[in-house]
Amino acid sequence: MTESRSAESRMSESPANDATAPHPGPAGATADGVFLIHGLGGTQYDLGSMHKRLKNAGLVTHSLTLPGHGTKPEDLVGVAAEDWIDAVVAKYREIRDAHPTLHLMGMCMGALLAAALAQREAHKKGRLVLLAPPVFIDGWATPWYRGLRPLLYALPGLRNKMKIEEEDPFGIKNEQLRAIVKAKFERGENFHYRWVPLECLRQVDRLRAMVMSTAGKIGCQTLVVHAREDELTSLRSANFLVEKIGGGRARMVVLEDSYHMVCVDNDREIVAKNVLEFFGAPMPGATTLLANEPKMTLDELGAATRALTTCLAGGDFTAVRALGIPDLTWVHPGENRIAGAHAGKALATFADRIRQAGSRGVQFTAFGTPVFNRGIALVPATLVVARDDARLESQGALMCAWHAGKLLEVRWFADDVERENGFFGPPDPASSGPSALEQAFEAATAASRRLKATDNDTLLSLYSLYKQASVGDAAGDRPGPLDMIARAKFDAWAKKRGMPVDEAMRGYVALVDELKKREAVAA
Amino acid sequence: MPEPPLSNFISIVFVAVGYLAFAALSTALAYAPTDAWTVWLASGWTLGLMLTQLRHRWIIPLAGAAVGAAIFALVLPEGRLGDAIGYAAIEVTAAAAGAFAAMWLAAPPLRLDSIRELGAFIAGALVQAVVGAALAAVWNVASGGSEAVRTFNVWSLAGFVGAILVAPLLMTWSAFRPKRSGGLTMPQFGAGAVACLLFLLSLYVIFSGDTERRFGGSVGTGLTYVPVLFMSLVALTWGARGASLVAFIGALIALFPTIRDVGPFAVADAFVGEAELEVQVYVAIVALTGLLIATLQVREHNALKEAREWRTRFEGAIGAHRLLAYEWDPIGGGLVVSGDTVAHLGIPAAKLTTVADWLSHVSPGERDATATAFALRADGALGPALTYRMTRPDGNAVTLVDEAQAIRDHDGTLYRVTGLVRIKDSE
Repeated sequence: MTESRSAESRMSESPANDATAPHPGPAGATADGVFLIHGLGGTQYDLGSMHKRLKNAGLVTHSLTLPGHGTKPEDLVGVAAEDWIDAVVAKYREIRDAHPTLHLMGMCMGALLAAALAQREAHKKGRLVLLAPPVFIDGWATPWYRGLRPLLYALPGLRNKMKIEEEDPFGIKNEQLRAIVKAKFERGENFHYRWVPLECLRQVDRLRAMVMSTAGKIGCQTLVVHAREDELTSLRSANFLVEKIGGGRARMVVLEDSYHMVCVDNDREIVAKNVLEFFGAPMPGATTLLANEPKMTLDELGAATRALTTCLAGGDFTAVRALGIPDLTWVHPGENRIAGAHAGKALATFADRIRQAGSRGVQFTAFGTPVFNRGIALVPATLVVARDDARLESQGALMCAWHAGKLLEVRWFADDVERENGFFGPPDPASSGPSALEQAFEAATAASRRLKATDNDTLLSLYSLYKQASVGDAAGDRPGPLDMIARAKFDAWAKKRGMPVDEAMRGYVALVDELKKREAVAA
Repeated sequence: MPEPPLSNFISIVFVAVGYLAFAALSTALAYAPTDAWTVWLASGWTLGLMLTQLRHRWIIPLAGAAVGAAIFALVLPEGRLGDAIGYAAIEVTAAAAGAFAAMWLAAPPLRLDSIRELGAFIAGALVQAVVGAALAAVWNVASGGSEAVRTFNVWSLAGFVGAILVAPLLMTWSAFRPKRSGGLTMPQFGAGAVACLLFLLSLYVIFSGDTERRFGGSVGTGLTYVPVLFMSLVALTWGARGASLVAFIGALIALFPTIRDVGPFAVADAFVGEAELEVQVYVAIVALTGLLIATLQVREHNALKEAREWRTRFEGAIGAHRLLAYEWDPIGGGLVVSGDTVAHLGIPAAKLTTVADWLSHVSPGERDATATAFALRADGALGPALTYRMTRPDGNAVTLVDEAQAIRDHDGTLYRVTGLVRIKDSE
């Protein structure tokens, strides 16, 4: 692990953007992958929630931190366009054979790199998405002196020292989001460099020239997403690429209510929808489940459902979560303490609550023969919950939605909901929102991003507690020995296996508090 | 953190070289008929450098100015060491006095982005000019001279005009940072460039050549107002940075012909030096007009920015609470709805401009009762919070809890009804 990287940049790796720890399900080996490339001076923040959305759609995401990024802007000096290309090519070759289909997707300069990568590697294993590619630096907010930069490039001393700063509107049209980004900059959060050296722009210009001359050689299906009001690069860039690649292979989506940062701005939902559609991925949600192509054979669906019933027979909800997407949703009917739709992190809280309600055991039993329809499995079952003074045996059916080996959603249809209401008791108003511990955990997560760099052991402790609290037990394959950072993180997380969610949250909150106190004392 | 000695030395040399360059340019601009300084640009160099920095770093420009002034005085014909030291002392004292006077009104570094800062700078320039002129007059008397009054007049005017022309260049451009995006856009730059071109071109046409023959009589003098209009346009589009740069270049265009007794001010001198005085006042007024307009523009820009920040905070707050806010004029009938109406109701706020618009989206079964309640509100009977449902264009219904309050005139007359609407749930 690189010591100079800030605590924030490392600790921010939540399930949503943890690129190095894919979650293969029963059909994980056949899951499609997406390689995402961030922009100049940026991080995975540039891509907004795309990682999470793609994972929720059953795709495995991969990313990298480009050379010179994730540390401090000065580190960009001496990094050439070729270094960025070499890095994405190396990563591409590393992951190419892990998926039957591998899509490429880049944002801003990452889009130029994705285009260069697709051309160099003759990429035909998947599709290509270019988000706001800056082929021309001619957006409406680019400054008047932009044309002078080639003159300044001739001065080696100056081009390494001159700082080119980020300024309002920060590529964001939505004023609320812009205020948030501004505040992040003011707090010094390391999600994006506040400036880049002029030399870095020279390298981007070289990269632009490379892409302009070779775009015609891109052979895969390509989607270009561009905002009409992009303040950095006009629609001319998107038109150029579509024309060069050819109308038969490339198409364009024009956004009407965003600036440059299309993945986080007003049109982010439109971007996500178009990207998922372009990748042929499902858009999670009960109303669309049946419309999605499951990308699983009947045998795979049967095997996946058996894996699920095995977990439920053992009352192991943590294992259930490992079968699903990060936002796996459990929908429980009725008006009682455990009823509601529990998605993502809330699923861990649901598991804790149902275990509390059944101090002498919680399990699903008496599974009937499942019925399959596309990605949906309907399984008759009985929910058995026992405590010292009562026992519930509630018959019903589980409806499970699958896609590409990942569990998207489970709905429990109880035959007698009133009986479950009586057993579990009325909803606890205090538990309808996040608990005090959950609130403290969220606050600690936010505070952790403002912590200064600390030693690797502490960072690993923070990471492991965060993952245990937010995801549960470590699941998936241990990363290979060459990926030392991911392996160290996975090992730290795996050491917390079995630790209850509440305990992990409390541990995380206490550790962050301690680090804050240490910083205060040091200050 | 203290600067390393070498860095300080280089800075002092840089200031001294700059001082000498502006002194040389000022020498070239000396008014031929009276052989007196028209503008003393070096004073603006020293004052500008001081006002762009915090007070603890003023020693560098002062030291550099002292060195530059002493060298300049020595290279003048009959330059003597004693005079050089005296001259350097006057320059340093005057600059320090001007900078302290400005600092008294506004804390440096000054960027000329408020009226207060502009006022502080002008006051500083005046104090610098007067203190320098007074000391120079005393020096003239002390060294046996007989031109104390003339020395005071020439020194004060030339110093003030020089400060007005050069110091703003430093104050505005020192804050310039190249940006990846943001700042002056290409369309703004283009508009400013046209205004700048017109300004410089009009100055050139008016000031170069035989004005009397070209325009006839005193028309040329009247035409000197034209460039002021273009300077205003430059200031409006390019701001203080552009205005200060263009004013400096424009001043050179106006000064060079005038010192050779050419141009509109040189047509008919009532007294020797009248043209010099007129051009001094002219370039100062042009420069100050540009700076004033640019500063007022910044003030408006800041006010807009503040208003936008207020709106963002307000919308953020009501959005987080799932609220909409409205203001209804029961007499005029106008309704203004704030908040994310598209997200909550599926309807843009622009389509909810009357109570009738609002009521048209209320579920049919509850519309009459809600309309009655609004009619009562118009009569001042606000009543308890209303709960009703609205149908979104996608067919889904949302439940609204609508709580209204009155804004009344001093005599109790109902002026406006303001409401907060809580979006409870969707069905």
